[in-house]
This record gives sequence, structure tokens and C-alpha cells, in this order.
Amino acid sequence: MLCYARFRDRLGSLTNGSGKLPDKIIEVRDVDFSRGNRTIFRNLNLTIERGQVTAIMGPSGTGKTTLLQLITRQLRPDRGQVLVDGVDIATLSQAQLYQLRQRFGVLFQNGALLTDMSVFENVAFPIREHTRLPDSLIRHVVLTKLHAVGLRGAADLMPSQLSGGMARRVALARAIAMDPDILLYDEPFVGLDPISMGVIVKLVGQLNDALDITSIVVSHDVHDVAAVADFSYVIADGDVAASGTPEELRNTSSELVKQFMHGLPDGPVGFHYDAPDYAEQLLGTRSDSR
Amino acid sequence: MFRDIYVTFHGFLQNFGAMCLFLARLVQYTPSVLIKRYSLVTYQVYNAGALSIVIIMVSGLFVGGVLGLQAYSNLERFNAEDTTGIFAGFALIKEIGPVITALLFAGRAGTSLASEIGLMKATDQLSAMEMMAVDPLRYVAVPRFLGGVISMPLLTAVFTTVGLLGAHLVAVELLGVDVGAYWQQLQSALDMEDVYEGIIKSVVFGIIASLMAVWEGYNSVPTAEGVGRATTRTVVITAIAVLVFDFMITAWIL
Repeated sequence: MLCYARFRDRLGSLTNGSGKLPDKIIEVRDVDFSRGNRTIFRNLNLTIERGQVTAIMGPSGTGKTTLLQLITRQLRPDRGQVLVDGVDIATLSQAQLYQLRQRFGVLFQNGALLTDMSVFENVAFPIREHTRLPDSLIRHVVLTKLHAVGLRGAADLMPSQLSGGMARRVALARAIAMDPDILLYDEPFVGLDPISMGVIVKLVGQLNDALDITSIVVSHDVHDVAAVADFSYVIADGDVAASGTPEELRNTSSELVKQFMHGLPDGPVGFHYDAPDYAEQLLGTRSDSR
Repeated sequence: MFRDIYVTFHGFLQNFGAMCLFLARLVQYTPSVLIKRYSLVTYQVYNAGALSIVIIMVSGLFVGGVLGLQAYSNLERFNAEDTTGIFAGFALIKEIGPVITALLFAGRAGTSLASEIGLMKATDQLSAMEMMAVDPLRYVAVPRFLGGVISMPLLTAVFTTVGLLGAHLVAVELLGVDVGAYWQQLQSALDMEDVYEGIIKSVVFGIIASLMAVWEGYNSVPTAEGVGRATTRTVVITAIAVLVFDFMITAWIL
């Protein structure tokens, strides 16, 4: 509690005691990040506005999920800062970080439900861990969250009994169990049928408005994200290639963004992965050819 | 070639150092886990211990039977078959009981722990816990480690007891050794120091087997191949470490 008090104090100093928090809830400043020899981000800068649904888009392998991991300090940048409500999260101790993470809700790509617990227990898990609420109250909270995602009737099922879309919705109920300030979605639409996808799209917008939270949606599903996002970033080549409202991005002059938004098979992002000359490789004239 | 040896040795030292730090963190969190999450520890004692009892008892029975046979056939040559109980008892209590229990534990519970934790990692369950501000080391690793450490001496006691009964069955019931001589010789020859040796070994082997399982699972590469490799490494490294430590403890005690 002492650590949390210190964190709140630091937060208080940022609001000048007025109680009003800055509009920029998350700032990524001059971030460099590499994995081995591969540079993922080079001098990346972006901000997430409070209360909005912000989409992080980009071709596969550009580091969208890595960016989420940097924002939640699952990874640390090689250089630069990630600020949450003006606080550099790299300076937080483990206890302070865990206090901060209680303000986050994260929907993982595959749901990441705890497989040895029922749907009910999965949603109750963070509440049991962080509060001393009586079981009767926990039951009310869990059923409310499950009702919000339309799965109150599935409370007694085990994760193995759920379809992909249902598992994603249960994970969403768990993500909002602690009433977070910031909800992060990592590829929430991947592998879903059109009906499940529609349900998730609807939930993203509804939850953001109903709970008055900030949402960050990482996706490469341009059309579905555009339906709910207030603002979007397109990431490519380690930096922000374009940003704006979905409408602005659709009308962009950037060839790369055009290719991405319209799903063109070839363009600045080539169809082929870097490879030696095709003819030379087939004829075996290169010493390193397979 | 020297460079390869250096790189291998350097990697081994790095890995060993990281594992020692991991063990230190497990030990550091143990008191709080025992107080706040004792139900998780109890479940893991059931999972690693109670669920291994059948394999331990069956193995103990046949290992005891073999010891009874070997002891009888060799001692009979010197008309010393009445001391079969001593031979089987010493072997089971001081050496074979702790060692084989640890090897069986690594094969049954160790692989289960390593693959379970590895799969939790591969399916982002550990990351999800971290994002829910729940330390997976406290919630997942420590209860499983403690479950193994507590289970091993109990399983060793079960193995040794059933092994002695197996030796009794073969030597007394089948081969005709006098029942009074079998148990009386064992009782008079055996000191508490011999029992303590078995207990010390079972505790040390319990720490080794549980640490290896939890460490390998926790640090596995989050892919199907990575989890498989972690499971295999758990068994191989535990087996080698148990045999090395068995020699070291025996040399130290003798």
C-alpha cells in the first residue's frame, strides 16, 4: 500500500493537485528496441489519448505486439521512455509496477485463460487475488462481467469447452474484472468467424464508452478496427508510418499506408522475403545457395 | 576448439548461476506462500505425491523382490541367508529407496510439472498472470516446488516400506527364510544414522528433482518443441544430478 501511495503521490504532482489527469494517458518517447540483431523500433514516438479507442495497425512482424509489451513493461526499451499518466514506467519498482498493472486489462491473442479453472473462476481470479471481497459479492461482480460479454450462461464451463470466440469473450470479461483504466487488445479479431468478430467489435466500442476507459487495439484487420477506432497509428519499418482518424488514413498519399489499408499484394512491402537472386539460386551458381 | 569449450563452459556457468538465483527466489517466497497460499501447496502435494503413489508402490514391490532374490541367492552360498533382511534393508533405506524414488519422481511428477508450466508459458497464461499483477513465481512455481520437496521424503518412505515387504515376500514366503530372523536381523543391524542418511538423501533429491522440473518448465522455449525439450531435459538432468549427489552425500557421511 505504501508503494501505491507513493505512486499516487507522483501522479498527484503531475496533476498539480487539481485532480485532473493529463489528456495523454500513454506516451512513447524516442523508443529504440531490438531483438538480437533485428531492430524493431527506431526512435518511435506516439501518444494515446485518454478515453479514446486507439488502433495500432501495421503489417505482420512490424512489432505491434512488442509495442503492447513495452507499454505494459513486459519488455524494456533499449532507449527512450514509456510514460503512463506522465510516470516513466521504467523507474517503477516491482511492487509499483504491479500496482500500475491493476489499472490495465489485457486481452491476449489466444485468450490466455487459466486452463485448470472454470470460466467463473477465471473471471474471479484477479478479484480474489487483489481484494478481500466476500464470495457472495465476487459472485455478483463475476456474473455482471460475464453478462456484459453475453456469457453468463457459460460460467460453469471449462476453457477447453469454449469456442475460440467464446474464449476471447471470457478473457475480455476477465480483463475488465478489476474495472481497469486502460484496456489493451492484442489481435482480438484473429481466427474468429464473422459473427464472433462482430460481437468483439461491438464489445470494444461498448466497453470503452460504458466503462469510460481508454482502449488500445492492436490489429491488422483494417476494416473492423476502423469501425471502432477514434484514432489509428500505422507502424512499419520501426516507426510510425502514418497516423490519423480511419478516414484520414484511407485518403492518405503514402504508398505504404495505401497498400496496407487497401490490402494490395505488392507495393513498398514486398511479396517476397529478402532472398538471393532467383536464377542464380536455382542454377546453384551461388556458393551459399541451398 | 578451445573457444567452443570456453563458450560451452561459460554458458553452463551462466545457466547455473541463473538457476541458483531462481532457487534463492523460490526459497525467499516460500514462507509467504506457505502462509497465504497453503491450499495451492496442498494441492501440489496431492498432484506430485499422491498421484505418484501407485507407480512408487509397484516399483518398490518389484525392486524389493529382486533384492530379496539377489540377497538370498548370494548369501545362501555362505549359509548366511538369515541376513537377507539386513542386505535388503540397508540397500533400500540408504541407497536404492531415495535414488529410485527420485528417478521415478522425475519421470512421473517432474515431467508433468515441467510440461504443465511450459504449456502455461506457451499459451501466455504466465504473461496473463503478470498482467493481472499476480507474480507467477509465487502462484505457479513456488507451490509446485514445495509440493515436490514435501512429497519426495514421503514417497521414499512408501517405496522403502513396500520394498522391504517385497523382499520379505520373496525371501520369507517363497524361499523359506525364517520370518523372525529376517526382521530381527534387520532391526538389530540398523541404526538411526542409516535412516537419517536415507532421509537426508530424499530431501536433497526432492529439492533437485522439483527445482529442475520447475526451472526447465519456467524457462522453456514457448513452442511445442521447446516444451518437449524442457520435459526431456528435466528427466535427464535430474537423473544425472541425483546420481552425482548420491555419491557426494554417501562419501560425506561415510
